[in-house]
Parts: sequence; C-alpha cells; structure tokens
Amino acid sequence: MPRTSRRTGSAAVNSPAASDIFRSATNRAISKELERIDVLFHSYSDSSSGVIGPEGIESLCSDVGVEHTDIRMLMLAWKLRAERQGYFTLEEWRGGLKALRSDSIGKLKKALTELEKEVRSPENFSDFYSYAFRYCLTEDKQRSIDIESTCELLDLILGPIYRPQIGKLTEFLKGQSDYKVINMDQWMGFLRFCKEINFPSVDNYDPALAWPLILDNFVEWMQQQQHGR
Amino acid sequence: MNTPKKRNFKIEAFKHRVEVDPKYAEKTWKVLEHAIHEIYNHNASGLSFEELYRNAYNMVLHKFGDKLYSGLIATMTLHLKEISKSIEAAQGGLFLEELNRKWGEHNKALQMIRDILMYMDRTYVSNNNKTPVHELGLSLWREHIIHSENIRSRLLNMLLEQIYRERTGEVIDRGLMRNITKMLSDLGPSVYQEDFEKPFLEVSASFYSGESQQFIECCSCGEYLKKAERWLNEEMERVTHYLDPKSEPKITSVVEREMIANHMQRLVHMENSGLVDMLVNDRYEDLGRMYSLFRRVPDGLSTIRDVMTSHLREKGKQLVTDPERLRDPVDFVQHLLDEKDKYDKIIGSSFNNDKTFLNALTSSFEYFINLNGRAPEFISLYVDDKFRRGLRGVSEEDVEAVLDKVMTLFRYLQEKDVFEKYYKQHLAKRLLYGKTVSDDAERSLIVKLKTECGYQFTSKLEGMFTDLKTSQDTMQGFSAGQGPEAAGEGPAIVVQVLTTGSWPMQPSAACNLPAELLPVCERFRAYYLGTHTGRRLSWQTNMGTADLRVAFARNQRHELNVSTHQMCILMLFNSADRLGYREIEQATEIPAADLRRCLQSLACVKGKNVLRKEPMSKDVGDDDAFFVNDAFASKYYKVKIGTVAAQKDSEPEKQETRQRVEEDRKPQIEAAIVRIMKSRRVLDHNNVVAEVTRQLQSRFLPNPVVIKKRIESLIEREFLERDKADRKLYRYLA
Repeated sequence: MPRTSRRTGSAAVNSPAASDIFRSATNRAISKELERIDVLFHSYSDSSSGVIGPEGIESLCSDVGVEHTDIRMLMLAWKLRAERQGYFTLEEWRGGLKALRSDSIGKLKKALTELEKEVRSPENFSDFYSYAFRYCLTEDKQRSIDIESTCELLDLILGPIYRPQIGKLTEFLKGQSDYKVINMDQWMGFLRFCKEINFPSVDNYDPALAWPLILDNFVEWMQQQQHGR
Repeated sequence: MNTPKKRNFKIEAFKHRVEVDPKYAEKTWKVLEHAIHEIYNHNASGLSFEELYRNAYNMVLHKFGDKLYSGLIATMTLHLKEISKSIEAAQGGLFLEELNRKWGEHNKALQMIRDILMYMDRTYVSNNNKTPVHELGLSLWREHIIHSENIRSRLLNMLLEQIYRERTGEVIDRGLMRNITKMLSDLGPSVYQEDFEKPFLEVSASFYSGESQQFIECCSCGEYLKKAERWLNEEMERVTHYLDPKSEPKITSVVEREMIANHMQRLVHMENSGLVDMLVNDRYEDLGRMYSLFRRVPDGLSTIRDVMTSHLREKGKQLVTDPERLRDPVDFVQHLLDEKDKYDKIIGSSFNNDKTFLNALTSSFEYFINLNGRAPEFISLYVDDKFRRGLRGVSEEDVEAVLDKVMTLFRYLQEKDVFEKYYKQHLAKRLLYGKTVSDDAERSLIVKLKTECGYQFTSKLEGMFTDLKTSQDTMQGFSAGQGPEAAGEGPAIVVQVLTTGSWPMQPSAACNLPAELLPVCERFRAYYLGTHTGRRLSWQTNMGTADLRVAFARNQRHELNVSTHQMCILMLFNSADRLGYREIEQATEIPAADLRRCLQSLACVKGKNVLRKEPMSKDVGDDDAFFVNDAFASKYYKVKIGTVAAQKDSEPEKQETRQRVEEDRKPQIEAAIVRIMKSRRVLDHNNVVAEVTRQLQSRFLPNPVVIKKRIESLIEREFLERDKADRKLYRYLA
C-alpha cells in the first residue's frame, strides 16, 4: 500500500450542544440515532459475513435511487472511509452515517446531495480523488490500475469538471502503448495537470519540472496534434 | 593680547649711490640683441660669452627682465620669419632638407641663447611663470614654421608622400624622415600626433583598405596572408626606422583592421584556398600564418576555431555515418585516428598548441563519434584486430602508442559501458582461442582502462585473465594425475574453467560430444569436482577448438584445426559416408544457426572444403546431403578451418547487446538517484538529473527521460515521494 497517510476526519462534524441541560437528552437522542443506524446496517448486511456486500450495496443503491456506478456511491464510500471495494463494515457504516447525520434512507438520500458539495470543495477534493484510486485497488499488493479502468474512473471523477482535458487525456491513454497500467503517482499527476495547466494550449507546461513522464508524452502528443492541424 | 612693543632693528645697506645710466637698459639690450643676430647669422665666434652673460645678468638684476624677455621674443620671431621664408622658397624635395637644416641651426642657436640668458631662465622666468628660453624657442618655431600656413600642409604632404613612395617600393632618405619626425615629437607629443600621426593613420587606413580590396579580389587566401604579413612587418620596420615608437601599436592596428579584421570572414571562407582548404591539404605554413595574423585582431582566433570546428564536425559526421565505412570497423577507427593525428599535428605545428583549439578538437570528436551508436563496438573491434594481428612484431613503444591512441578515442565515447560490453566479448574470444598477440599488451590496455574508469570497470576483465591462469594449473594437475595408459590412448583435452559472471557468454545447451571424447571429459569432471567442492561444471561446447588428424583419399594426410562444433560434425563421418542435414542436426544437437554456419565453413569455403555438399550451393538447406571431400588438397599439412561469421555483431545480436546495456544501466541510474537523494534528502528535478548525469558520465550518458522513468519507479517503490507543496521537489523516504 502507498505510504501516504490518510487524512482523517476532514468532514465537518457538528459538535453536540455544549449546554449541560440538554446533554442527557442529546445523549439519548444520539444513542437512538446510533440504534437506527445499526438497524439500517443490518437491513443490508449479509448475516454470514457481517458486512454489507455487493448485493447489499446494490439494494442500497436502488433504495436511495442511484446507480451503483454513480459517483455519489463513490463519495459515500469515501465518507465511510471504506477499505474494500464493494463492502461496508459496521464500523465504517457507523462512522460515516453518523457524520452524515443520517439514520434513515430518506435522510441518507438528502445527505448524498449535501455530500456531493462537500466532496467538491477544494480542501476535500484531492483527498477524495486519491481515495478513489486506492478504492479501486482490489487485489492485495496491487499498485496500479489498467488503462481501461483508469479512463472510466477519470471520466467519472474529473469528467464533469475538466471535460476537454479528460476527453483528450483518455483519447491519448487509449491510443498509446507505452503504458498498460497507471500508478498512484501518475494518477495524482493527472489531477494536478488539470488544475494547473492551461488547456488546450498547454503553454505553461514545463517538462523540466517533475511531471510524470506519461504527462510529458501526453503534452507532446497534444502539441503534435495541434501542429498537425 | 598685548603685543610687546618691538624695536625694529634694521641694518642699513651701505649707502653708496650707484649711478644708473638711464639709457643703461636700452644699451645693454642692444648688445644682447646684436649678439642674438650674430648667433643666427653664424657669427658667434666673435662673441664673448662671459660678457653677454653678465649683461643679461645685470639686466635681470636691475629689473629689466621684462624688457629682456620681450626683446628676446621679438628678435627670435624676426629670425624665424626669415627662416620660414627661406624654407618656403625651397623647391620640391629640397623642402624637407631645408627644413631639417634650419631646424638644426635653430636648435644650435637656441642652445647658445639659452646659455647666455641662463640667469634669466633661473630667476625671472621661474618667478614670473614665463616659458623658459628653450621651450620658448620651440614654441616659436612651432608657431612660425610648422604652423605657418605655407609650410604646415606642405610638410604633411611631403611626409606622407615619402611614406607612400616607400610603400610602393621606392627608396627614400630615412635619416631625413627620422629627423623630421623627431622634430615633430620634440615640439611636443600633440604636434607629432596632430600634425603627422593622425593624418598618417588615416592615409594608411585608406591605402591598406584599397590594397586589401584589390588583393582579395585576385589572390588566394594564402598569398593574401603572406602579403598582409609582409605589410605588417614593413610597418613595424618603418616605426623602428623613423617614427615614434608609440606609433607602432597604432599603425599595426590600422593594418590589422584593414587587412585582416575587415576581410576575416571572406578570407576564412575563400573558395579553394580558405581555411578549410588549408586544413584539408595540411598547409601548415599558411595555417600558422593565419593563426599569428588572426590572433592580433579581436575575434580572430574564434573565427578560425569556429570554422575549424564546424568543418571538423561536418567531416567527422560524414565519416561516421557513411554506410561504406561501416562495413569495415578497423578501417573506420583507423580513419578516426588518422583524423585525430592530422589535427593534432595542425594544432601543434600551426596553432601553437593553443588550448582552446585542443578543446575544440576534443569537443568536435566527442560530438561526431557519438553520432554513430556503433562507435564503441567498432573501437573494440579495432583493438581486437590489433591484438589479433596488427601488433605482431611491433615494438613495445609502438604498441603503447597505438593503445594510447585508442584510449583517446575511448575518452570521447559517451557510452563507455557499451564499449566495455563489446570489449569483454572480444577479449573473451581472443583469450579462449588463444588469439592474442601479446598478453602484456592486453594487460597494458586493461591498466589504462582501469586508470581511466576505475577498478569496477575492469575487475571482470581481470577475472578472465585469472581464470585462464588457474586453468593452466588445473590442466597440469589433471594430466599429471592421469596414468600413462590414459595419456597414450584416445584424444587429449584442454579445459578452460571459466567463472560464471566474469565471462560475457550466456550459458548454452551443450551439443552431443562424440563418443570418443566422453570418457576423457568424464575423467576431467571427476578430477575437477574432486579437487573443488561445491562447484558445478557445464560444458560450453560453442567456444572450443579441436585439432583433428585426417587421412583423405590418395593418402593425403592433414591436421585440421576446427571449432568444437565442427569437430563434432566431422567425427560423425568416421562411421558414415553420407549424412543429410537433418541427420547431422539430430546427432549433434547443435543449434540450427550454428550448425548451418559450421557446415557452410566446412563445405562451401574454397580451398578448405573438407566436406562436399549436394546440391552445390552457397547456402545450407534442410535437405542437403554431405560427403567427405576425397579430392581435398592443400599444400599445407595443417589446415585451419574458420567459421563463417560476420566479425561484426549481427543485427539481432546487436539489439540484444543494446538491450542488455540498457538493462544494466537501470540499477546504476537508480543507485545514483538513491545515493544523491540519501545525502540531499530534498532536491528538485533538474538537479537530480544533472547530478545523476555527472555521477555516471564516466561510464555513459544517461538519457534524462530514462532518469525520469527511474525516479518514477523509485516513487512507486516508495524510496522517494513528491513534495506536497513544491512540485519540482522530491523527498527521500528513509
């Protein structure tokens, strides 16, 4: 696994009311809420393994009303800090849903919309972006993702924001043959590229900086295309 | 604040009324004036110096200095005006002579006058800030003679005309010229400069500008330079003969500018005779002249150097990329060496061994040698050829000279590791086949390589020598241990035990050895493994040689020197008359490519075709059949059968070597990166690349892209990480 330490608790958590008078009432409310969260968990979890598995997630998706390939599900996984693709543990579920203040499907549905805003905020986005990559590493010791999946993931996450860049980048990635897989370093490079580099002129790209080589090649390819025109 | 009253003492002068004749001043001046006239009229012999001095002394003493001084000016002016008239009257060439003569006279007169008026000079002149008599005489001369309207321009023209005449080959009175210019300098540096030097330089400039134009149109570069050199020398000579020494740098710079600087490009690039032509034809004298002339002007040497460099690069590029040349590596390298010798000689004999030129030579060679990716291979092949043949019977010193030259080429190589790869291969073949002419020379080159590149570079090469030495001892031990009955019977073998790793060969499957050989091989294996424990032996049958005694028909007996593979093939014919290609392949299990080559060299080489092939053709096909060639004949008893093989690497082999080299570089680059990052902890990308390049350049020139790839690989393996904030930086992860 990459050594990059995971940032924790980047989500804004509403602190419980400080006043003593309300404390016990609040505590009661909280334990009620936790109970309901647990109930919700067990309604999806597989009784034999004690976690929400792929089937559980699928039925969760249909209850919430989103496709399981929807980016919001990835965001939910991020919020839950889910370790394994396609599985939510009870711990992850509790932490995530508590933070989302959702103890019912209806609340969760609403929370997902809020969550999207939270993820899109600049301070969370790059964490989410790197999380998405790690989340896709399903095998033990897997460090990289094949080009095909990379393109899909890029399209899903960066596509809505950086449409022209991602269009060209995926076109390039699918057309080249030097790289068959993409690693974390390159993945993070893509985001940085989209954020920092003028597009499509790429005139502020300096190959002497420490860009991953694959982006050097991409820029070269872009320039060739532009000259060809 | 009270001043005591002072009593003034006063020593009264002796009251003695001196009668002063009111006309005294007038009378005394008359005497002196008369004397000055006489002096100018060459009648000074009748004058009394003592009397005149006293008169002048008295005048000054009696405060008539003013009168005396102004009288002197008036009188001298009067005379100078006359002189000026007589000079003006002088016709043509006599003018300068007259001027010179009058100048001489004026000087003499001035001398005398100064002596008479010495007292005035000392007291009156210095007290009243007047010009001393001598200087006064000079300045009056300047005013009334040199600067007089009718003389000034005439004088200048005469002088310039004289110089012009001398430049065009006439003989002039240099003594007279010297006196005149001396006069001008005596009158003050400004007079010399304004009234002579400046116009002289201008006229010279236009003279040389005209001359150079004319010559450059019709002369070759060499002739032109000769002329320029001659003119320069003439001008310097002129200065020593009759000009002020300070004029030398000025006039030479005029000549340099007009003759050289203004035409530099044209001269250098002159068709059929310019610098390139001189270089091509080794015209040392012309080159030397060009060097010594051009070095006098700004940018002169850099002009030569640039043209030389670009010519050298161009020529070198042609040399190394000419496909014709690539056919013969020995010839290729010999050409490079010849080129190097040629330029060493030119720089040595014509360019004063100028450091900057030597550097340009080095950088040019580095430039074009590396244009050809096969240069390392070729240099190694050249050495191979030298060690196999070229150095036979050559004296030790000459061997050293050849090796040193090879080393200079080696230094130019960027990809020294590629050279090492090939060198190892070639050395291995030389050693195993006993083909090397001189072990000492081999070792000498290895020592040189070691000095150049360090121990690491040569350790494996040295290991190869050690292996052979050990093998000799092993063989001695082996044959001593054999009973006499074993020695007499059957074939004898010589085994060379090679340490895996030291030698460049890949382990290859052994072929089937002939049954006759197996017992002795087994005995050796048993002996070797008996003396050394924990070792493994595998036969490299693709490397050895064998001597075979063969009896052909008609009692033709020969000893054939063949490779081990060829031996295996030939031994099959002890029990068969005719063998098909497939049968041979099956029996020997020699890899197909090798087998074809072996059969080709046994059956298809004229004069060495101990086998006969059906059908007769150059190539070996799958269905060919082979027979012993009973008609084989050779005038020698011993016949060496070579192996048909391109001496150069074949195309796939070449790529394989290339790939191996690339693979070998990866860990070296990574090690360098880690070394650097470990000590620096944080470093930006460009510096990492620069530092890695610096550390590795003694072995090869790493490609920045490859370095980047290695960095990325290290990031992936978490030796490094990118800095979170500054994207240029890498951090070392301990």
